[in-house]
Amino acid sequence: MEQKLRQEAKALLEQKRVDWIIGFTPGSLKFTTTPLITRDKADTERLVINPFITNNLANFLTEIKGRVGIVAKGCESRSIVSLIQDNKVAREDLVILAVPCPGIIDLAKIERLVGKDRDELDDVSRDGDKVSVKVDGKKKDFAAADVLFDHCLACELPTPQEYDIILGEPRPPAPDLKVSGQNIAELKALTPAERWASWENELSRCIRCYACRNVCPACFCQRCFVEETEPQWTLPMPQWQDNLIFQIIRNIHVAGRCTDCGECERVCPVNIPLRSLTREMYDTVDELFKFKSGMDKDALPLMAHYEQEEAEDFFK
Amino acid sequence: MAKKASKKDVAQLLKKWSQQFAVLAPSRESGVAAMAEWDGKDTSFLEWYRNTVVPPKASFLPPMEEMFRFHKDEEGYQIEPPSRNGQKQLVFGIRPCDARAMAILDMTFEDAYQDPYYLEKRKNAVLVGLGCTNPCQSCFCTSMGTSPTDPTDVDIMLIDIGDHFLIEEVTAKGKELLAKTGGLKEATKNDEAEAKKSRETAYNKVSRKLDTEGIKDKLLDSFDDEEFWSQTAAKCISCGICTLLCPTCYCFDINDEVVKGEGTRFRSWDSCGFPLYTKMPMENPRSEKWRRVRQKVCHKYEFYPMAFDVIACTGCGRCIRLCPVNWDITQVIESVPEKVKGAK
Amino acid sequence: MTQESKWEPKLLGFLCRWCSYAGADLAGTSRKKYPANIRIIKVPCSGRVDSLFILKALRLGFDGVLVSGCHPGDCHYQTGNYRARRRIAITKRFLEYLGVEPQRLQASWVSASEGGKFTEVVTDVTRGLKEVGPNQLFERRKDGAKAKAGSKGTARAKKG
Repeated sequence: MEQKLRQEAKALLEQKRVDWIIGFTPGSLKFTTTPLITRDKADTERLVINPFITNNLANFLTEIKGRVGIVAKGCESRSIVSLIQDNKVAREDLVILAVPCPGIIDLAKIERLVGKDRDELDDVSRDGDKVSVKVDGKKKDFAAADVLFDHCLACELPTPQEYDIILGEPRPPAPDLKVSGQNIAELKALTPAERWASWENELSRCIRCYACRNVCPACFCQRCFVEETEPQWTLPMPQWQDNLIFQIIRNIHVAGRCTDCGECERVCPVNIPLRSLTREMYDTVDELFKFKSGMDKDALPLMAHYEQEEAEDFFK
Repeated sequence: MAKKASKKDVAQLLKKWSQQFAVLAPSRESGVAAMAEWDGKDTSFLEWYRNTVVPPKASFLPPMEEMFRFHKDEEGYQIEPPSRNGQKQLVFGIRPCDARAMAILDMTFEDAYQDPYYLEKRKNAVLVGLGCTNPCQSCFCTSMGTSPTDPTDVDIMLIDIGDHFLIEEVTAKGKELLAKTGGLKEATKNDEAEAKKSRETAYNKVSRKLDTEGIKDKLLDSFDDEEFWSQTAAKCISCGICTLLCPTCYCFDINDEVVKGEGTRFRSWDSCGFPLYTKMPMENPRSEKWRRVRQKVCHKYEFYPMAFDVIACTGCGRCIRLCPVNWDITQVIESVPEKVKGAK
Repeated sequence: MTQESKWEPKLLGFLCRWCSYAGADLAGTSRKKYPANIRIIKVPCSGRVDSLFILKALRLGFDGVLVSGCHPGDCHYQTGNYRARRRIAITKRFLEYLGVEPQRLQASWVSASEGGKFTEVVTDVTRGLKEVGPNQLFERRKDGAKAKAGSKGTARAKKG
């Protein structure tokens, strides 16, 4: 898959079909990758596809000018489609290199299972449904389902629907909502007051680094309401009330655009379970409006259309 | 003379210190590893603690801090100073990199303007350092003039020697505290030798290296190299992780919160990574991402050395470890062009 | 007199100028009685109401928010109220998920001729707010009373 990607990417640049290639290259820490954004065809030799390609590369599309060849897993392809729906990128400016994705390994889950920091692992490798971890010279095997990101377990589109070049055998979707929805289910079992208190507690650690927003392909506003000064909707300082309002409105703003790629939760430096917000909104939108974000590039954005008859039982 | 204490007796030691200080120790209770008020019994952090995610600077320059309150009455605006309790803090377990960072922050906060909020907390604090035995792969302290067990910037230094800690009194403040503490065993020659070995082992475990030779001048020369900075900044997402969680970053923003005529002025962490940081009525001199990335790098490796003759980076590696896109400062510093382009 | 018996809910109403605001007017001119708990902001269209307005009102201490516009099909701008409906639907669901009482965000269709309906809606919403009590959602807790319930923070701790 990797070889094919390198050849295709190189050819795209050589034939001048694209100005940029966006893909993944090995990161500077163990078991990481980093986005590679390049116009240099020699760089295509550094492209990789492995179980650690975490970032959602669609995030870079709105700031890059020119035609782009982009490596896309299922979730990225949905984000791309969503951006096309919103007229943020043009389909003809893109060459989508589709990666049928078996899910990305969540190192935090491995850390919890083996009780060691990611630094201290000697090797993490994947073979089909098995993930082998070598630590202290010993090999431990885990079922992939136990060490993949929650959002990967819930994935409804491992293989992009919208693509130009496909780099491997398509993979059928097999979402498991039980494990991936556990946190939300636990929250729903609480009383409303307990739920609110729980969010107060979680959001009181927020430091307003805005990584969740900046890493999100759906958050493409030039100016975010949270930074507006006139009127000042929320204070830009990290008190939980304002932090929570920021998250609530962010989720409402990306409703119908959020594809449950899970990046916001992954990047949060203070471990706020943000996916328990985004996924709930994703499910709400699906339930109320039968809308799955990023599935059909010709569909209108969720908030740009309506049906005559739809959810209004709450209207008096 | 160095003393020693069994690891099992750390709780005892902290209890003793709790009588005099608000003891802060590594904790994950809030959901993220940070220095937090010690709960009076738990020393399990000795097992898991490598370093905190939130740097100890947060105990001196909190993410959000009340500066004063104000209200309006018939005579106009009245200001009430903050209730400073003058409580003494003892930070237990600070790593040498973060302790060095505190020394670097001191330079700014006690420079031309003496910052009372920071300095009062700092003056009242005792730093008890804990030498690393297991540095992270993102650590590069040994390249930044410190080391996993460097005692320079703490008051008391603890070095792991198996089932004991060797306790070194570093400053007069530390010496005084240890004398008052009492009940500590004297370290033997053998313990000293163990400590030396422990230091060497830890030192050699720091695998990431960074050559900062001549970096100040190289950055000066490359300041206008837009191509280099654009390339460097390409994958940056302009979030605030690397700055807000940097132990040497000190920028803050000031905001008033007014509720029903009662106001409070707060200061809170700010980041040069945000476009809003430099937004002015007419324009924004750093509206482009590469200019902000350049500012961040140059401030640490060029401007700070110009002002205080020290690089404002201690190699703690947080920015590398926590970066959403693995933007790695060591790679960036190493890739700053050597050549002088269009030198005047 | 105790604190509670004195308390009256504060309701913020965003009323569209073409239907609901005129409906409120009609209620007034026809001397219909409705609770004085509502403070009204006239908006051009229910579609103007950003979820942020709702959150801001709750943050400022309003006990509830009512958004009211023209009946479906009657929007002066053709589609504004349909858009509002979607937006309020997700906002309401999401707030309830977070733990906000459903009574705190209400919506209604009130036309310019429905002065009677307007009084009913306001009476009804106010009654609901009296049931759930004062809005303490965003109140600053006293030290030590910090919420802990339901935190999975430590179990989930992932970095360092």
